[in-house]
Amino acid sequence: MISFIIFFFFAAVAVIFAAMVVLHRNPVVGALSLVASFFALAVMYVLLEAPFLAALQVIVYAGAIMVLFLFVIMLLNLQHQAEPHTRPVQQFLGYTSSAAFGLALIYYLAKFGVTKLPEGVFVADARTVGIRMFEAYIFPFEMVSILLLAAIVGALILSGRTGISSTQGSPSASVPSTKMPPATPASTHSEEVR
Amino acid sequence: MIPTHWFLILSAILFTIGVCGVLTRRNGITIFMCIELMVNAVNLTFVAYARQFHQIHGLIFVFFIMAIAAAEAAVGLAIFISLFHHRHTIDVDEANLMRW
Amino acid sequence: MHGIDWVDVGLSGLKIAVVLGAMLNVTPIMVWVERRGSALIQDRPGPNRVGPFGLFQSFADALKFILKEDMLPAKANKVLYTIAPMFGLIPALTTIAVVPWGRPFLLPGGRLFEPIIANVNIGILLIFALASMGVYGIVMAGWASANKYSLLGGIRASAQMISYELSLTLAAVSVLMSAGSLSLVDVVWRQTGSFVLFNAIKLPAWNIFSPAMWIAFVVFFVSAFAETNRLPFDFAEADAELVAGYHTEYSSMKFALFFMSEYMAMATMSALITTLFLGGWDIPWYNEPPNALGFALSVLAFVAKVSVLLFVFVWVRWTVPRLKYDLLMKLGWKVFLPLAVINIVIVALFIAKRWI
Repeated sequence: MISFIIFFFFAAVAVIFAAMVVLHRNPVVGALSLVASFFALAVMYVLLEAPFLAALQVIVYAGAIMVLFLFVIMLLNLQHQAEPHTRPVQQFLGYTSSAAFGLALIYYLAKFGVTKLPEGVFVADARTVGIRMFEAYIFPFEMVSILLLAAIVGALILSGRTGISSTQGSPSASVPSTKMPPATPASTHSEEVR
Repeated sequence: MIPTHWFLILSAILFTIGVCGVLTRRNGITIFMCIELMVNAVNLTFVAYARQFHQIHGLIFVFFIMAIAAAEAAVGLAIFISLFHHRHTIDVDEANLMRW
Repeated sequence: MHGIDWVDVGLSGLKIAVVLGAMLNVTPIMVWVERRGSALIQDRPGPNRVGPFGLFQSFADALKFILKEDMLPAKANKVLYTIAPMFGLIPALTTIAVVPWGRPFLLPGGRLFEPIIANVNIGILLIFALASMGVYGIVMAGWASANKYSLLGGIRASAQMISYELSLTLAAVSVLMSAGSLSLVDVVWRQTGSFVLFNAIKLPAWNIFSPAMWIAFVVFFVSAFAETNRLPFDFAEADAELVAGYHTEYSSMKFALFFMSEYMAMATMSALITTLFLGGWDIPWYNEPPNALGFALSVLAFVAKVSVLLFVFVWVRWTVPRLKYDLLMKLGWKVFLPLAVINIVIVALFIAKRWI
């Protein structure tokens, strides 16, 4: 009984804050609404008897990825950039096609819904997930760690900070540094002299 | 016991909202956040089915999806920052050099 | 959920009231300890006017906070400015729910009273999850104040906090590996009892006496300073550099909330260090009986250990200077993270060879 109340309340929270991400103009408000939506999803995971994954959702998504989003928005001062209004044609087509897709999906999900669960207890704590991960899924686990390393290196290269100082390389460095001040005539003259 | 298809319908609603956002908004960061919303909706589907069939494979897949989404967010935001520094606008319609 | 009746609800309410009361009273006591302790270290008297030994100084401070004018900067984002202090308070008050603070004992009716508010399987993951929420309070406070110095302080503090969360988590993982469970109750039960050295010396089986955990203890202890933004890692406030960092533009009750949340986070971190490394509620060399006397003694032991650690926090603050921010980040990423990973390997080796 009480799990139904919790389900409906947090489902409403998730949907409302997700809608705010799409509809609000300010990206900071959008990012914080997405954090609230992720919290509501973590509660859904607890209702689905997977508390380990609920904690992971909060730690990884709400605690790390969204902090990264907020850093980028705040450091680049993106909330002052005026986003141009979408053309009415694109808005109409976008809303109607996604609504049609969503309605079709919901209709078929509701029509073929299964309500019988198998017997027994579903044990989904850290021990069972860990045992299965390191026995059957060890190869994807190692591959994901290599992928994370590749992502770190890629992000470093894309942001232009590989640790190679741009005054020691050629003046026409191919990697633009984002925080370099405009070159004054005195500094370029001293570089050429050296 | 909450029926599984209620969770699937919630996941479908969140996915639809994400699709709306990607198709309608022009701010790069907002599009990115709607993509993360879609990924989370799919995560919810996986966990719902894992409980439905009492199999742990769904949860392990969600584990991997979270790790990959974190990597994708880092690289995607780095790409967005470079784009922003070259074009000085967050409008993704302005990133059109490869259009015909 | 099997058979919860009204007695269980009443006991839970009692536990929540006790823990909440303790946490809310930490701040006034710590304010006095901080001011008198710093005076002791700096060879000066400290506050001694308000009451004997200045004991009522906290009441005077509380009155001051309540009666000050509550400001709102003109260009500040009103909603975020107002809810930012709450985000600082939430981790400090909720993470104490999964820390056991006494020995479980049998009530007269045969019921087992467990002095922990929420005994979930994933105890410590909740602490890490809610500690990540503390970053949002600082970032929002720094950004919503519409002030350059606040923004800089906020970004610096949040970068520092997420960097040291990693070494904190990995150092705790080695303790959890030896306990075999994510629940802090199991971690404490493993530290009861004792182990014998050289057939003569009997040491309590606390994790701090086990050589596999020494590196983890150092890493966790220092990362706790960085997580709670205490000197030598208080670049968030940085009294001489950034005016007051992320809480420059806050006054009266909102500043009091930030102030309180810092001391409560200190208390929670001390409770966590006690539970993971110092044996929690365990009294050394004594087998507590499972009745009310054993429970009371174990609660006293827990409070004593937490108090010692809180005094160490104050002691370090007034002894160690603050260095540079880039040195802090290098320390977090290049020294503590590898050390924590090395410690996990060492603990794995000990477990494989059955030395633990």
